[in-house]
Amino acid sequence: MAGMSAPDTDTPGLAARIGHGLARWSLVIGLLLLWDILARSGSFTPFMLPSPESVAQRIWRDASNGDLPINMGLTLYRALTGFLIAALLGVGTGLLITRSAAAAWFFDPIISVGFPMPKITFLPVIVLWLGFYDTAKISMVVFDAIFPAITGTIVGIRAVEKELLWSARNLGAKEREMLWQILLPAASPQIMTGLQVSLPIALIVAIVAEMLMGGYGIGGAMQQASSMADSRGVFAGIVEIAVVGWVLVKGMSLLRRRLLMWHPEAEAPSGV
Amino acid sequence: MSEITIEGVRHLYKPARGKPVLALDDVSLEIAPREFIALLGPSGCGKSTLLYMIGGFLPVETGSIRVNGKKVEGPGPERGIVFQHFALFPWKTVKQNVLYGLERQALQRGEREARAQTFIDMVGLSGFEDAYPSQLSGGMKQRAAIARTLAIDPRILLMDEPFGALDAQTRHLMQDELLGIWRRSPKTVIFVTHDVQEAVYLAGRVAVMSARPGKIMDIVDIGLDKSDPDLQRSKAFADKVDQLWRLVRDEAIKAQQGRRPL
Ligand SMILES: Nc1ncnc2c1ncn2[C@@H]1O[C@H](COP(=O)(O)OP(=O)(O)OP(=O)(O)O)[C@@H](O)[C@H]1O
Ligand SMILES: [Mg+2]
Repeated sequence: MAGMSAPDTDTPGLAARIGHGLARWSLVIGLLLLWDILARSGSFTPFMLPSPESVAQRIWRDASNGDLPINMGLTLYRALTGFLIAALLGVGTGLLITRSAAAAWFFDPIISVGFPMPKITFLPVIVLWLGFYDTAKISMVVFDAIFPAITGTIVGIRAVEKELLWSARNLGAKEREMLWQILLPAASPQIMTGLQVSLPIALIVAIVAEMLMGGYGIGGAMQQASSMADSRGVFAGIVEIAVVGWVLVKGMSLLRRRLLMWHPEAEAPSGV
Repeated sequence: MSEITIEGVRHLYKPARGKPVLALDDVSLEIAPREFIALLGPSGCGKSTLLYMIGGFLPVETGSIRVNGKKVEGPGPERGIVFQHFALFPWKTVKQNVLYGLERQALQRGEREARAQTFIDMVGLSGFEDAYPSQLSGGMKQRAAIARTLAIDPRILLMDEPFGALDAQTRHLMQDELLGIWRRSPKTVIFVTHDVQEAVYLAGRVAVMSARPGKIMDIVDIGLDKSDPDLQRSKAFADKVDQLWRLVRDEAIKAQQGRRPL
């Protein structure tokens, strides 16, 4: 009896779910359709605007001949390695700054100057110092992605209520247990927010660095395609980056939901 | 001999911005072992501040606080505190919150679990062991915080309006539980409250604090037979409530006007 009326209240039907999904993606689908219509309209040459179909074929070809996996793998390797280093260093620096007035005094100027600065302007210097290879590209990524991790950590730790620390001490926590047992978990929502900003920055900087320095990687491949007037190759790169970016951001947001199950926000509908 | 000796304690809050606030001025109080004392006073008079100082969370800069002759120099699990705003760990479930203190004591795993469950049941949170604080009502959070502190069995209980968020019914049940615990195990309780009835019902003595800067204005001996089931309807009870009410009302009016010079 009860089972009969349940579907329309708790779990929406399959059709409704598909409809809902389509509505949510309608802007993305609309853009793809617009692209297709414009490409077919004849007002652009296939060189200026290759059709979605031909770009899809190109992606498929690159995927099967091994170019795409190599380029994608390298780009992801640089972005994610850089991101992990930035996350560790960033959270560490943020902690140091909140724990010690001397560290705050010391790091404040470099952060205030460094954060708003377009770090890519350092690229020529980095190339001079570190060459054209992965170290230089990953350093660029770290350099850019570290700032949101630092500020997220600082904001998170500073917002921890003193009564939370007091109650841990009162229940017998040792001074050295406070960091891992109280401060980091209590600050984790803001730290996570910082990292969620860092991750797309890491991907962007990895690709831009590849474009500017050349070599393997999605950015490098796009740059090469462009210099060879291979417009399908360029568009294929754009689509690939969009998909990777979406997967990374989505993955991070799922990780957040898992880690912050306790947080009131976990009750909210999923999103970015 | 007294267990807790507070002598000439003053506390000045020095906020980073704004004027310093003198929260306590020359507070002295002697509390005997196993005593149940209530602190009664208008909002903002420094009750929480005094509790924080006894708990060892705020430094004692002027005057002294001694527990069994030893100067208080920091927090310790023998002085368990229930914070006014609960201070539960939001990333831990009710059960994990209650276990936190127990995990720091020399107990077998099974013993810890059983103890945690006993106190969760006692405060009426059975069935909510795995809920996170964000999923609880204010009163439920408060009861979880009480269970967490009672579980570590502190010799001294510092309670900051521990029943403030509870409905009248639950409040009564919790008051009786607390009295039961206090009778069964040798504990000294310092109980902060706004509620005159509650102070008279629970405490042996009631210290009435003045409006800010807080001082101990009066100490009233209650001297009622707490085991009398009709206590709350007796004439003696009503008289004590009335006597305290008058003392508190004058201070509350002063606190409202808020124009006492520093
Ligand atoms: N961190 C702080 N910085 C500055 N002033 C403070 C701070 N905490 C409390 N005060 C001031 O100290 C006074 C006493 O505060 P306290 O919290 O001890 O009052 P209380 O008696 O517990 O009040 P209530 O019954 O409302 O909880 C208040 O007037 C408040 O303005
Ligand atoms: Mg208070």
